[in-house]
Amino acid sequence: MKVFIAAVVFAVIAAFVASFVLSGVQMASYTAFTTSGARVGDPGNNLVGPG
Amino acid sequence: MKKPSPALRRRSRNTENRKGVVQMPGSLSTLKAPTLKALCAALALLFVVAQPASAQLSFKPTAEAVQEDKLLNALKEGDKISGRITIPDTNAANLIQPAGRDWRDFHRSKLPVIGGIAILGMLALLAIFLMVRGRIRPESGFSGTKILRFASFERFTHWLTASCFIVLALSGLNISFGRILILPLFGADAFATMSGYAKIAHDYLAFPFMLGVLIMFLIWIKDNIPGKIDWQWLKQGGGIVSKGSHPPAKRFNAGQKGIFWIVIIGGTLMSLSGWYMLFPYLPANVTELQFWTVIHAVIAMLFIAAMLAHIYIGSIGMEGAFDAMGTGEVDLNWAKEHHSLWVEEEQAKGHAPAAGGSHAMPAE
Repeated sequence: MKVFIAAVVFAVIAAFVASFVLSGVQMASYTAFTTSGARVGDPGNNLVGPG
Repeated sequence: MKKPSPALRRRSRNTENRKGVVQMPGSLSTLKAPTLKALCAALALLFVVAQPASAQLSFKPTAEAVQEDKLLNALKEGDKISGRITIPDTNAANLIQPAGRDWRDFHRSKLPVIGGIAILGMLALLAIFLMVRGRIRPESGFSGTKILRFASFERFTHWLTASCFIVLALSGLNISFGRILILPLFGADAFATMSGYAKIAHDYLAFPFMLGVLIMFLIWIKDNIPGKIDWQWLKQGGGIVSKGSHPPAKRFNAGQKGIFWIVIIGGTLMSLSGWYMLFPYLPANVTELQFWTVIHAVIAMLFIAAMLAHIYIGSIGMEGAFDAMGTGEVDLNWAKEHHSLWVEEEQAKGHAPAAGGSHAMPAE
């Protein structure tokens, strides 16, 4: 049982680490798929910007 | 002097015409040179303008022709309607691509059928097998003597991969069957929230799953190379189809080797295709991305069906089997019946007791 719990905990930690790493190396879609000329400074709380 | 023949007379008149002495009314030669040049230029211009249009459209550009159905039907496989864009994502220029409709139809109609047959069919087979064969118990009973079957790290790797697989499978099945099975039960809002979190879990638990498959491959490959003894095991049905038959097997029998390679090959294909879906700019184009989504979905359905069989035989299907991944230790009599050659090897190494007692347990 201890091994099972350890495996599940490790899986959750590894998933969080993966999410942080990917968030660090990837750009948000509103940045990646627009040129600077078409990009608004503060996207605000809409569908293309950070909530 | 002899009079010329009628043929010679006609030829003579034509010669005069070419010289401009006699001009037939209505002939081209009556037009002046600038007028002729202008007419030729107009015809050439008309030809140049009309040529691209006739090459692109096989039907007349009337009001009827611009209907969407006809436009889409005019597109053949591999064709697409593209626009012109200035943003970095060049794939965004594609407006209409017929292959996309085929891909969508596959996910909406064919894939649920494939998945339903694979998963429900496997459950039905297992239910029938349980009813016919019942639980498989050690014929000599449990000895009460234990032998270490899997070390802690092996069990950790197994449960790491298995726990991720369960979440990945359920969240993946939600994509194909959620709208049919769960949406009517939970309602739209709850289903949308659940699906959102399920998608996040699917994306990020994929990484520990890939790690687990890789470690499994490294630690168990040496015990999973197919050999002649596996063929004997298969010919005897693994000793689980009929009672009283226990074909010899090493650490992993042919059935377990099959599961191992299904996990390794299936897990690799799922990882590769999933990687392309996580990073959709890696494939060369949309068609390639769609190909990998089909591979991901089909392999997933078959993978889940195979794992159902693995879960069944490792739990309710065979008494004493779960201990191998539960505590890591199995009963010596159980091990002798299902992995006789492995037990002999372990006894030769001094890792297992020479003989187990006849501590037969009553049947349930």
